[in-house]
Order: sequence, then structure tokens, then C-alpha cells
Amino acid sequence: MIAFEHVGKRYGGRFEALADINFSVQRGEMVFLTGHSGAGKSSLLRLIMRLERPSRGRILVAGYDIDRLHYSQVPFYRRQIGVVFQDHQLLSDRDVFSNVALPLEIQGVEPHEAARRVRAALDKVGLLHREKALPIELSGGEQQRIGIARAVVNKPALLLADEPTGNLDPQLSADIMRLFEDFNRIGTTVMIASHDLALIARLRHRVLRLREGRLIADEHAAREVV
Amino acid sequence: MTSGASRRSEKRVPEAAAPRRGARVQRTGLDSRVRAWSRHHRAMARDSAFRLARRPLGSLLTMVAIAIALILPCALWLVMDSAKVLDTELDESATLTVYLSASLGERQAMDIAETLRAQPGVAGARLVTAAEGMAEFQQALGLEDALSELEENPLPASIIVSPRDVSPQAVNGLGEQLDEVEGVDEVRLDLAWLERLNRLAELGQRLTLALGVLFGLGVLLIVGNTIRLAVESRRQEIEVVTLIGATHAFVRRPFLYSGAWYGLGGGMLAWAILSLGRQWLAAPVQALAQSYGATFVMPSLGLEGSAILLVSSTLLGWLGSWMAVSRHLKDIRPR
Ligand SMILES: Nc1ncnc2c1ncn2[C@@H]1O[C@H](COP(=O)(O)OP(=O)(O)O)[C@@H](O)[C@H]1O
Ligand SMILES: [Mg+2]
Repeated sequence: MIAFEHVGKRYGGRFEALADINFSVQRGEMVFLTGHSGAGKSSLLRLIMRLERPSRGRILVAGYDIDRLHYSQVPFYRRQIGVVFQDHQLLSDRDVFSNVALPLEIQGVEPHEAARRVRAALDKVGLLHREKALPIELSGGEQQRIGIARAVVNKPALLLADEPTGNLDPQLSADIMRLFEDFNRIGTTVMIASHDLALIARLRHRVLRLREGRLIADEHAAREVV
Repeated sequence: MTSGASRRSEKRVPEAAAPRRGARVQRTGLDSRVRAWSRHHRAMARDSAFRLARRPLGSLLTMVAIAIALILPCALWLVMDSAKVLDTELDESATLTVYLSASLGERQAMDIAETLRAQPGVAGARLVTAAEGMAEFQQALGLEDALSELEENPLPASIIVSPRDVSPQAVNGLGEQLDEVEGVDEVRLDLAWLERLNRLAELGQRLTLALGVLFGLGVLLIVGNTIRLAVESRRQEIEVVTLIGATHAFVRRPFLYSGAWYGLGGGMLAWAILSLGRQWLAAPVQALAQSYGATFVMPSLGLEGSAILLVSSTLLGWLGSWMAVSRHLKDIRPR
């Protein structure tokens, strides 16, 4: 699903945020991306979303070199990826329902069908009863679940999450991770950046470890706690 | 919780993250795409109107600014248009006076008038006999007594010729042509006046055009600035929708509609102010015209002019918004 081949990323021509990254993720895998703050986790995810372009190397997603996408194709490429942010990035002037409906609105899904899918996604994250609420009326954990509902409403093949539990307590974090596992179980490829090492260790998934822009470990079954 | 193997089951893997636009597009079909597109247009037209209505004072101020920018070139255009009415009146009165030799008798003079009438560039010819000429002259100058003492009429007969083509060159040519006719002593034409008037009209037209362009640019800037602020205030929204796959066209659309609404509102205000101004000025202008013994019809935009005003102000709003949004979308890159 994802393949990085000697990928490097420099910001401003000098600073090397990522250097010679090589890995591949199979379709249907669930992968954690970990490392200290500033290790390059977000940069790596942004490269996959094509928010940044690699300074060197190649990134293949579903077999396509995404650097060769014409800019007019980029929106259509992004529609195939669900993204969850640490700060959830919900629109404060829209209620829960229309926040989750946003990706479908962008794709021009017919309203009736869109409503059905939004409710299905809200049901999945257990917040169907809050569809009329404004994001500000929800707790941090609920907001994050709405963010996840928005990311999956379109049934993306690939789900990316950048520190999705960064602001949550351990119990809520575990809940959120379980949600990701649910989506992974139905075939979605999931990649989660997180520095919550204890949580990651408990979940026993493949872990990509970054340090200062380099991939220092690729552990297929994380057993030891660092 | 689950083993790696079961997680890998690909039975229900959603569509591949295919970077071609094809996949989804083909599946949804052109027809439903067009419907989605027009649905979004309608939604954005409505949504942007509501957004304007939610800040009535700010929106009104922008529209007033646009209206002010539109009024000056429109007013000038109206003045020019009414001058054109005067112009055609003058054109109609643009005549050549053909003086006949004093030795000719009345009979011959009538024959010559006939000849002139038959000339290709001549629309009409009216004979003024020596006696008639004298009478007109006396009346005009109030010199009846002095002139009546003259034993012989010193004025020649003349023919007033109206040309078909009133452009200065054509009138000039016609004058030369008539001068050749036997029995014609002299041809007088008052071209200087005509030419001056034409130049004045051209000057007015250019001035209107220049002001139109300048103030049109002003409208673009006014709308552009307003839209720039709107884009800035919805920056987060733009970033988020860009992240989840909105095209530039999608992001731009609500702002284009806002711009068009501003333009339309400004155009309607300008129209209303012009109509009011017309009514306000009508009485004194009419009185002034009357004191000159002239009838003067106050110029108005009419149906066509009103349509042009509204359509072009709407387009200007749309264009100004397009320029502002396109410029600022480049700066907005999702974090
Ligand atoms: N847009 C940017 N311009 C310049 N430097 C950046 C930019 N984004 C990230 N960086 C730098 O790249 C490094 C990696 O950042 P990031 O990918 O955000 O790490 P992480 O998400 O692991 O904390 C950091 O040192 C950060 O300062
Ligand atoms: Mg980060």
C-alpha cells in the first residue's frame, strides 16, 4: 500500500527532517510510527498526504509514484485517504453531522446517501446521538471520535492519524486505539504517529521508530517496552 | 487482540487509493456529477448570500463603495448620451448654403435647385429666393427700416442643402462638388463648428472609457479586499477541506458567489442612486433648458443600460473575488 524508497525531506534546502527512509506497508496492515517530538513523524505523514513533496527518493501509494501526480489530481488522491489530527480540526461553526459530512459534500455525494453514510460513521464511533451538537459542546475524546468519523465516512483505503491521542487520558486513548483497530479489522490500512510508547507496546502492532529523521527500527511485533 | 493474519484479510478492502481521478468519477457517472456540481453551486449561492446578510452593515458598506465607484462613469456616460441627442439635432441642422450668381432669374434658380436635388450626396434642397432671403435677413437683424431704403435687393438667391452624410469629410466633399455646378457662385459650410463638436464628443467618449476602466478597477479592488478578509477569516475551513480533497474550484466557489452578490448589490445601489439623482436634477435642468427655448429629455439608463450596469457590476464582483481568492489560496497550505 505504501512504499518509501530512499526518501529524504529537507526544509528550506538545509534542514534535513527525514533522511533515507525505506519501508513498505502492506495493504490491510496497522502500523505505528513513533519517535520523540521532532523526529519527523508528522513530516512523514505529510509526505504520504502529498502536503509536502520529498526532496529525494520515491513514495509509492497503491503502486503509484505520488510525486508524479498532476496538481489537479491531488484532491482526488487525497479523497482516498482518511486523516485524523491531534487537534481533530473540526469546523467550529458546523454541527457534528455536517462536520462528518464534509468529505462527502466535497465529493458531491447525493445528500440522502450522504446522510446515511454519516449516520453509519457516527454510529461506528458511538456518537450518533450527538449529531446536532456543535464541536465545542463535546469533550476532547468525543471530538476526536468525530474527527475519526469524518476520516472514515468515505471508507478510505488508507487511514492516517497524527498523534490522535495526544491530548487524551490513557483510558480514552485506549478507546480511540480500539476504534482504529476496528477499522483495520475491516481491511483499512492504518498508520498512526504517536509517541505514547506504553500504549503502542500494549497494542502489539508493527512499529516504525524514527530518530532525528532516520528510521532506526522496524519492529514487526513489538514485545519489549522501551 | 487480533492476530496479524486475520487483520490481513483483504476480503473487504475498500477501493485502492488510486491516484487517478478516474476510479470514483467513472463509478458515479457524469450525470450525477453534473447534479452534484449544480447542487453545490446552488448551496454556495445561498450560503454566501446568508453570510452577507449575517453582517448587514459590513456588506452594505462594501456595496455602497462599489456603487460610488460605478456612479461616476455611469453619470458621465449618461451625460454623453444626452449630448448625443443634441448632436443628432445639430447633425440634422448641418446644412450647406449654396449662393447663386446674382444675375440669375427666379426660373433659373429653381432649375438649379432641381439639379442639386438630383445630386447623389444631397438629402434635400430648399430654394430661398432673393426676396425671401431679404425678408429673413431683415427679420433676424431687425433692420427693416434701414434695408427697405435700399432700392435694389443686394442679396443673391440661395439654396439650403442638407447632406445625406453629415461627417465633416463628406460635407466638405459635397461642398466642392456643388461648387462645380453651373450658376453656383459660392458654397458656405460651417465645418469648424461641426468638427469642434465631433472632437468634443470623442473627448467625452474617451473620458468615459478611461473613467470606466479606472473605476472598474476600483470595484475589483474593493471586492478583492473584502474577499481577502473573508478568505482570511475562513482560513481553517479552507485548510481542512483542502486536506480532505477539495479542489480549488470547490474552495473558490462560495467566495465567487460572495463577490458576485457584492457586485450585484453595488450595481443595484448605483442604479437606485442614479435614478434618484435623475429625479432630483430633472426640475432645474428642465427649467434651464426652457429658458434657452429648448426641450431637453433627461437621459436615463433605460432597460438596456440598466441590464448592462447590473451584469457588468456582478461580473466585476465575481472577477475581483476570483483574483483575490486565487492569490490567497496559494498562501494557504494546510499545516
Ligand atoms: N514546514 C516546516 N518547515 C521547516 N521545518 C519543519 C517544517 N515542518 C517540520 N519541520 C521540522 O522538521 C522536524 C521534524 O518535524 P515533525 O515532522 O513535525 O516531527 P514530529 O511530528 O515527529 O514531532 C522538526 O525539527 C521540525 O522543526
Ligand atoms: Mg508531529
